[in-house]
Amino acid sequence: MTELLARFSSLSDMLSTSPALAIGLTLGAYFAGNGIFVRIGRPLWLPPVVLAAVMLSAAIALLSVDYARYREGAQWLTVLLGPATVALGIPLYQQIHHIRALWRPILCTLPVAASLAAVYAVAIAWALGATPEVMASLAPKSVTAPIAIGITEQLGGSVSLMMGGLLITGVVATLCVDVLARVMAIEDERILGFALGINGHAIGTARAFEISPTAGAFASLGMGLTGVFTAIFLPVAFRLIAH
Amino acid sequence: MSMLRGFLILLLFFLFGEAMRGLFVLPVSGGVLGMMAMTLTLMVSGHVGDDLASASRALISVLVLLIMPGVVGVFFTADQFQGQWLAVAAALLLGSFLSVLTTLLLMRSLVRTSAVSGK
Repeated sequence: MTELLARFSSLSDMLSTSPALAIGLTLGAYFAGNGIFVRIGRPLWLPPVVLAAVMLSAAIALLSVDYARYREGAQWLTVLLGPATVALGIPLYQQIHHIRALWRPILCTLPVAASLAAVYAVAIAWALGATPEVMASLAPKSVTAPIAIGITEQLGGSVSLMMGGLLITGVVATLCVDVLARVMAIEDERILGFALGINGHAIGTARAFEISPTAGAFASLGMGLTGVFTAIFLPVAFRLIAH
Repeated sequence: MSMLRGFLILLLFFLFGEAMRGLFVLPVSGGVLGMMAMTLTLMVSGHVGDDLASASRALISVLVLLIMPGVVGVFFTADQFQGQWLAVAAALLLGSFLSVLTTLLLMRSLVRTSAVSGK
């Protein structure tokens, strides 16, 4: 009996040598997170990814799986992020006709708004004494996750901290657009959608689709353009500042 | 089968992006370069094939699953950022408020002027 218990306690060690455990845990938490999200009525401030991540980390901690080893196994999933980023080019292409209709305000707002989203965050963090690693992790906070991961790796930040910041930014930016639209009496769905996409990436875009399909289209456009612009602007700017 | 064919196209664009990054020592990730190449190719060809459409829909719909391993890291590497949480929180909360405000102000005035000059 004691022998069986001893073998049982070393079970998670044995199972985590293959990627199957890491993939199984991630998939399980993903479905559980989505299920709970629907069950509690799809709250705007608690996206399913947060629920799934909390459950996944609880499972990793409870089963005492080593995090580094989990990451290694989960690479079977994260390797798909590359082609998934390429896939974002397809909806972006499908939104291109919106640029033709409203090209001047879009092309004037985008570079300013997307750079300021990064500059505000880095400046505030710098003023409060953050390390370069933390600033590099916060800079791409308004960019959609697959692109932001690439940016943070280029800048030398922490992908984990960046992902946490990304989620909080998405939720906060969405709430800010809702409140400020009311205060400033803005009703143009195109403006609201575009602001949601630029500042709140995928979480803001999901909210925009709740407002209307037009707002959603402008949010996808804002999210896609912000991703492309920031991915080029930030690494170049960081390289110039560092020199 | 058709979805796999679309996946192969996505993978080729990604590899092309990675190759460009390596060849010209670009600071931009291979995925983003591949995405830009994909958008440009579609603008030239003018339509999206069924294979590509179904593969991209499938991948985009599971994006959350693909980023989860990165997200959970924040719980396991939190010690690393001790003493920085105030800076992080202020940058996220205040930074997001300011950037939303700027975007709305800018976009509102620009849409208004372009509507006036368009008439």
